[in-house]
Amino acid sequence: MDRVLAIAAKDLRLFARDRFFTLVTALGLAFYAIVFWLLPATVEESVPVGLHLPGLPQQVLESVTDNTDQGFALTVYPSSQALEDAVREGEQVVAGLDLPAGFLDPALGITDAAPDPDAATPTVRLLLAGDVPPAVRDALSGVVRELALTLTGQPPPVDLPPEEELVLGVDRAGDPVTVREQLRPLLVFFVLLVEMFALASLVASELTQRTITAVLSTPARVVDVLAAKTLVGTGLAFVQAALLAAVTLMLASRPGLVLLALLLGAVLVTGLGLLVGSLGQDFLTTVFLSVLFFVPLAIPAFAVLFPGSPAGWVQVLPTAGLAEILARVAADAAGWGELWPQLAQLAGWGVLAWVIGAAVLRRRVVRA
Amino acid sequence: MVPADRDLVVRTQDLRFAYGRRVAVAGVSFTLARGEILGFLGPNGAGKSTTIKMLIGLLPPDAGSIEVLGLPMPARQREIQARLGVVFEEKNLYPNLTGRENLTFFARLFGRHDLDLDALLERVGLAGRGDDRVHGYSKGMRQRLTVARALLNRPDVLVLDEPTDGLDPVSARSIRSIVREEAARGAGVLLTTHDMHEADGLSDRVAFLNEGRILALDTPEALKLRHGERAVRVRRRVDDGGVQETVVPLDGAAGERLRTLVGSEGLLTIHTEEATLEDVFVDLAGRRLE
Repeated sequence: MDRVLAIAAKDLRLFARDRFFTLVTALGLAFYAIVFWLLPATVEESVPVGLHLPGLPQQVLESVTDNTDQGFALTVYPSSQALEDAVREGEQVVAGLDLPAGFLDPALGITDAAPDPDAATPTVRLLLAGDVPPAVRDALSGVVRELALTLTGQPPPVDLPPEEELVLGVDRAGDPVTVREQLRPLLVFFVLLVEMFALASLVASELTQRTITAVLSTPARVVDVLAAKTLVGTGLAFVQAALLAAVTLMLASRPGLVLLALLLGAVLVTGLGLLVGSLGQDFLTTVFLSVLFFVPLAIPAFAVLFPGSPAGWVQVLPTAGLAEILARVAADAAGWGELWPQLAQLAGWGVLAWVIGAAVLRRRVVRA
Repeated sequence: MVPADRDLVVRTQDLRFAYGRRVAVAGVSFTLARGEILGFLGPNGAGKSTTIKMLIGLLPPDAGSIEVLGLPMPARQREIQARLGVVFEEKNLYPNLTGRENLTFFARLFGRHDLDLDALLERVGLAGRGDDRVHGYSKGMRQRLTVARALLNRPDVLVLDEPTDGLDPVSARSIRSIVREEAARGAGVLLTTHDMHEADGLSDRVAFLNEGRILALDTPEALKLRHGERAVRVRRRVDDGGVQETVVPLDGAAGERLRTLVGSEGLLTIHTEEATLEDVFVDLAGRRLE
């Protein structure tokens, strides 16, 4: 055990003396924390929509613009052209409803006159900015249709009483997952990947400088070297990931589960670090191989940023379990019961990566 | 010759090793006694380094046996390595650690926590530089530090792979001096070198390796006598003012010819000549050492 500790202490000292990695690690941690805290802590849930409706009384206008129950923040424009210009600029509103004069009068009780069945069908213009998501476009169309049904005195074709509304999981209405919360798995992933590169670089220099040969000519064994590298690699990656998790409030919910996931993630990148370091002939090869691993491993963390379920192949990537655990703990406070399959998947990948990395390093060491 | 009653610290028998289909060592047998310096000479690719790797436990032999300090290698590898000191051809030190930190680390691997590193650093001529990082060391300083590292455990067997290769004369002399001291202390020393003069001056016995085999193993004097030619070179001034040089092989007719030459007028110089180890290798292998 003393030999393992001696090798680990030496590796830590070498890591601390590597200016590149100490700088990248320190700056990275600070940068990720700053990015997290700079991102907004709330989500603007209302979609800004412009409205042009000539002839509407001021009192009604105010009540309409104050009402955001439908998820829309309404701004009234005095003319069709002004509404068009506002939507085109896209700064204040992303869509607009251009309604004909008197369109809402029956619905608002301004007139008691029954609709004339022979009159021409009024035309409603729905103005949309180019980048409006389809969901917003559909929602606005739905609003117009609902208004039309109200105007014709017909009820909507479905009945949706509030008591029949079932929220599955934690109800995040009014408290949606923020961008910075969605970004956390990616930040953790960056920290882990830098440590994978640091360990790979440490292993590669040990092999290229042949210091490993000197170590193995003493009573130290390959297994001592593997144990020490695992200890240092996992320790460095885990401590930094846990630190970032603490700074970004990731440990506020299910801390045990989050920490275990981070530990398994650290084991995973340690295995990959051993593999990359064993295959790398020099610094540049190590960088190249690290980037090669970086891209596929980053996909699950990026996938969390976008709505919807990721593709099936993304869900089997080694880091998918880690990304999903971090995302679901933050999003709906999922616990051990819901996330054990992801934990098992992450543990499986971690063990597999370590076994492969250790085997390749052992082979390289013996051939050195 | 090595006295028969001295303790053997290394005994190898018919060692063989191949890298894939390339045979590196094809049946090497030798012994090393306590206090003896055995020089391994041979060109690149002769099998010297592979033999050393097997001896120190970095490579398991394909066939044959190795006994170090009476213990079988690799079965008792850890015990053997605890009593082994190795100087590698490459200066495999941690450049971002200081000289002292390098030594402290390796001392811990040997389980030695009570060493006087100052004395050791002084012995290899690095007193006052132990707290400098190794990346600032010259080649000679690095080599002296690797020698210090090999002495951390007061080894019973010291293995040195090209220990003075490319060093300045002062550093090389310092290392040779330490090698002699270690042998005098009782360590068996196995030394590989390209330097024929070093092997000749330092080794008690020399083994010539070529293509994975030992071509000859004996004391340098015996090898030179057996495989080289001794002669006397006589230079004298002749009648036309020129200088004539005559080489007289030391065979049965040498006495009479030398008496004639020495008795003649105009004698300038007389030099005895004997074969070098290089000549011996050429005689044995049919090629030069480089």
